[in-house]
Amino acid sequence: MTSVAHAAPAHGGAHHAPMSFWRKYIFSTDHKIIGIQFLFVSLFFLLLGGVLAMQIRWQLGFPGQPLPGGGILPESMTSGGVILPEYYIQLVTMHGTFMVFFAIMPLLMGVYANFLIPLKIGTHDMAFPRLNMWSFWLAFTAGLIMLAGFFVPDGAPRAGWTMYAPLSARPDLSGVTYGQMLWCVSIVVLGLSSVLGSVNYITTVINHRAPGMTWFRLPLSVWALFITAILAVLALPVLQGAAIMLLFDQTIGTHFFDPLAGGQALLWQHLFWFFGHPEVYILILPAMGMVSDIIANGSRKPIFGYHSMVFAIVGIAFLGWLVWGHHMFMSGMNPTLGSTFMVSTLLISVPSAIKVFNWMGTMWRGNLRFTVPMLNAVGFVSMFTIGGLSGVFMAATPVDMHIHDTQFIVAHLHYVLFGGSLFALFAAIPYWYPKMFGRMMSERIGKVHFWLTFITYNLTFFPMHILGMGGQMRRLYDPTQYDFLKPQQPLNEFISIAAFALFAVQLLFLVNFLWSLKHGKKADQNPWQDNGLEWSLPSPAPHGNWERVPTVYRGPYEFSAPEAGDSDFLPQHVKLATDKEPAGRFER
Amino acid sequence: MTTEHVRPNYILIWVYLFVLTVIEVAAAFLSHIPKHWLIIILVVLAVVKAVMVAMYFMHLKFERWRLRLIFMIPIPLAFILVLAVITEKIW
Amino acid sequence: MTHVTATANMMHPPVPAEPGSGVYSNKLGMWVFLASDVMFFTALIGSYIILRFGITDPWAAPGAVLNVPLTAFNTFLLICSSVSMVKAYAAIADGKKYFLRAVPGKLLRDGGLKFWMLVTIICGAMFVGVQVFEYIKLVGHGFTPAGFREGSTLAEHAATDAVRYGATTSGLYGSSFFTMTGFHGFHVTCGVVSMLYLYFTKVLPEKYSAQDYRGIETIGLYWHFVDLVWIILFTIVYLI
Repeated sequence: MTSVAHAAPAHGGAHHAPMSFWRKYIFSTDHKIIGIQFLFVSLFFLLLGGVLAMQIRWQLGFPGQPLPGGGILPESMTSGGVILPEYYIQLVTMHGTFMVFFAIMPLLMGVYANFLIPLKIGTHDMAFPRLNMWSFWLAFTAGLIMLAGFFVPDGAPRAGWTMYAPLSARPDLSGVTYGQMLWCVSIVVLGLSSVLGSVNYITTVINHRAPGMTWFRLPLSVWALFITAILAVLALPVLQGAAIMLLFDQTIGTHFFDPLAGGQALLWQHLFWFFGHPEVYILILPAMGMVSDIIANGSRKPIFGYHSMVFAIVGIAFLGWLVWGHHMFMSGMNPTLGSTFMVSTLLISVPSAIKVFNWMGTMWRGNLRFTVPMLNAVGFVSMFTIGGLSGVFMAATPVDMHIHDTQFIVAHLHYVLFGGSLFALFAAIPYWYPKMFGRMMSERIGKVHFWLTFITYNLTFFPMHILGMGGQMRRLYDPTQYDFLKPQQPLNEFISIAAFALFAVQLLFLVNFLWSLKHGKKADQNPWQDNGLEWSLPSPAPHGNWERVPTVYRGPYEFSAPEAGDSDFLPQHVKLATDKEPAGRFER
Repeated sequence: MTTEHVRPNYILIWVYLFVLTVIEVAAAFLSHIPKHWLIIILVVLAVVKAVMVAMYFMHLKFERWRLRLIFMIPIPLAFILVLAVITEKIW
Repeated sequence: MTHVTATANMMHPPVPAEPGSGVYSNKLGMWVFLASDVMFFTALIGSYIILRFGITDPWAAPGAVLNVPLTAFNTFLLICSSVSMVKAYAAIADGKKYFLRAVPGKLLRDGGLKFWMLVTIICGAMFVGVQVFEYIKLVGHGFTPAGFREGSTLAEHAATDAVRYGATTSGLYGSSFFTMTGFHGFHVTCGVVSMLYLYFTKVLPEKYSAQDYRGIETIGLYWHFVDLVWIILFTIVYLI
C-alpha cells in the first residue's frame, strides 16, 4: 500500500482536552451517550404511556367508578373523580401517540441504532456525530411539545393516535384547539429528528464498515436497523407533510381534508397510512434483528438461514409500502383498490413466517441457555406469532368488515407491539446493558419479571380478541351503555385487573434497571460469550470505541464452530491461522 | 469521488433549460391546444428539465448506479401513492 | 472527520472501511436526505394532484390568479443560480479560491469560488424576495390559503367569471398553492442561509481547496434539488 500523509493516528479514549460535564453527557456527540440519552427519555415516555393505559383500563373495567387518585385531576378531566368522556378519549389518543412515537420507535432506533451500529460494524462513531446530537435534542423537544398538549386550554387531541380528518381538523367538532396544533408541530419536529438520525445510520452502515465487514457478514440486528432507517427516511416525511396540511386546515383555513370545499377526508387516511404501515415495520424490524442475535447466542448455534433472514427483512420492508389500505377497508374507499391491498397484505405474512421458522430452526438442537435476554427473545417469537396470526384474519377484507375498529384490532396491535417489540426490548436492554453501563442487570429479578410479565400480559391482551369478536368497539368510553356488550363486561373487568398487575410487575424491571446502574455486578468484557465486534471492547465501551478499527474475518454467528476448538463461539475479529486478510486497500 | 468524466458544458445546459422554459410558458398560453395534450406536453417538458438538472448539475450521469438508485427509489413510491389515491375519485 | 486518516485528497470515501458507496460520507448523506425530501414534496404535491383530479368543477385558468410572467422570470433566476452553483463547484474543483482573476487574452475575467458562490446567494435571495413580494400582492388581491377573500378584487372577478377564476375550487387552489410554494420557499431560504454561513466561515477564509471541497459539493446538491423541485412546481402550479 502506498504510504500517504497521515494525520495523528486515530485513537480511542479522550483525544480532546478533558470535556466539561455538559459537553460529555448533555451535549455529547458520542453515539453511545446519545443512545443512552434516548434510553432514559424513552423509558420515561414508556412509563407515561403505561400510566395513561392504567386510567383507560380503569374506565373500561369499572365505568362510572371514581378513579383512585382521580381527585388530583382538574374538573375538565374528571367529575367527582370519574373520568369524563372528553378526558377518556384524550387518554386513548395520547397513549397511542406516546407509545408509538416516543417510546417504541426511539427505543428501537434512537437507542439501538445509535448504540449498536458503530460498535457492530467496527467504526469509531457515526458518520455525522454532531447531526446525531441534533437528532436527539430534536426528539426531546418534540416530546416536550407533545406533553404540553395536556396543559393547554381544551387539553390534548382527541381524534385517536391516527388523527383522522375532518374530526382532527375541526375544533368545533373535536373540542380541541391548541392541543391539536401542538401534536402537528411535535410530529413535524420528531419527523425531522428521525430523518436526520436515519440519514446518519444509513451513511454509517454503507460507508464505515470495518475492513472485512462485508454486507453478508453484518449481524442481523445491523441489517434490520439499516433497512428500518431506509423505511424511516422515506416514510416520516409523508407524515410530516400530512401533519402540516392538518395544521394548516386547523389554523390558516386551508381545505385539504374538507369535503365541502373540494378536499377529501380520505386523503388524510391515505397519507397517514402510507406512512403508518411502513411505521409499524419500523417498530418491529429492529426488534426482529436484535432477537436474531440474541437467539443465536442463546442457542450457541449459527442463525438458521442467515441469507433468507436478510431477504425476509428486505422483503417485508419492500412489501410494507404496498399494504397501507388494509387499515382502511371500512373507510368507504374504492373497493377495487381495497382488494389489491388484501392480496398484498396476505403476501407479507410470508417473509414474516420465514423469520419465525428460522428462529425455531436456530433453537432446534441448540445448546440452549435460558438467560433473561434469551427468555424474552423466545417470548417475543411466540407472542409475535400470535400477533401475526391475528393479522392474517384482519388481512382478509370480508373478515375485517366485522372486526375492524374492535378490540380484536387492539389485541392484535398489542401482541405485535408489546408481545413483539417490547419483549424484544426486554431482551435487548439487559443484553447490551453491560456494554452501556459496565454492569449486569440482576438475572434473578429479570427472570421473575419475565415470567410475571408473560403471564399477566397474556391474561390482559388475549381476552381482547374475544371482546372484539363479541363486537366491542375501539376507543369506547363505556361498554355497558350497549345492551349487547353488557354480557362481556366481566371480561373487561378481568382484563383491567390483569392490566394493573402487568403494570405493577414492570416496576420490577424499572427497579432492576435503575438499581443495577450503581449496584449491578461489574460486567466482564464479553459476558454473553458473543461474537459481535462490540464484545471486543471493555464494558462499558470507551469514547471512540477502538484505537484502531478491527479487521473482520467471518460472519457473526460462528457458534459451536469446529475451527474454534474447545470454545463454542468465535468472534468476528479473531484471526485464525487459516484466515486471510480482507481483499482491498485499507489505509490505516 | 465521481468516476472520471469530461466536464459537461454547464452554460449549454443553461441555454437548453432557458429554451425549454420559454417553450413551456408559450405553450401554456396557446389556447388552441386541447387541455389533455397540453398537460402531457408541459409535464414532459418539466420532467426533461428536472432530469437535466439531476444528470448534469447534480452529476448523476457520471456517478455509480448505486448513487442514482438512492435518488430513484422514492419515485415509484410517489407514483404508487398518487395513482392509488386518484382511483378513489376517478374509478 | 476526526478519526479518518487524512489523505492528500479528502474527496474519497472514508478509510479504513469496506468499499461502500464509493463517495465520501457528506455526499452520500446529502443524497439520502434528498431522497427523504422527495417524499416530503410527494406528500404535498401528490395531494395537490390527487385533489385536483378529484374535483369536477373548473380550476382557475393559468395566469388568471397568479402572475406567470413574474414567476417565469423567477424561475429563470433560480435556474441561473443553479448554473452559478455548479460553476462554483467546478471552480473549486480546479482550485480557484479567488473572486475574479484577469485572464490574458480574454475580455471577461475568470470567476473563482468566491464570485460564483456570491452570485448563487444573490440569485437565491432574490428568488425568495420575489416570492415574498408575490405573496403580498396575491393576498392583497384577495388570494389566501383559504381561497378568495370575501369582498376582495379576486372575489369580484370570480363572481363575474366563475370558470376562468375557478370560483368554486378557489379554496383548494389557495390551500395547495400557498402550502407547496411556501414550503419550497422555506427550503430555498434554508439553502440561502446555509450558503451564507459557509460563505463567511469557509469560502472567504479560503478553507476550501481542490483537495477538499466537500462542503461546496454537498450544499450544491441541495441547491440543485431545490431548483429541480421548483421546475416541477412551476409547471404544475402556474402553467396547468
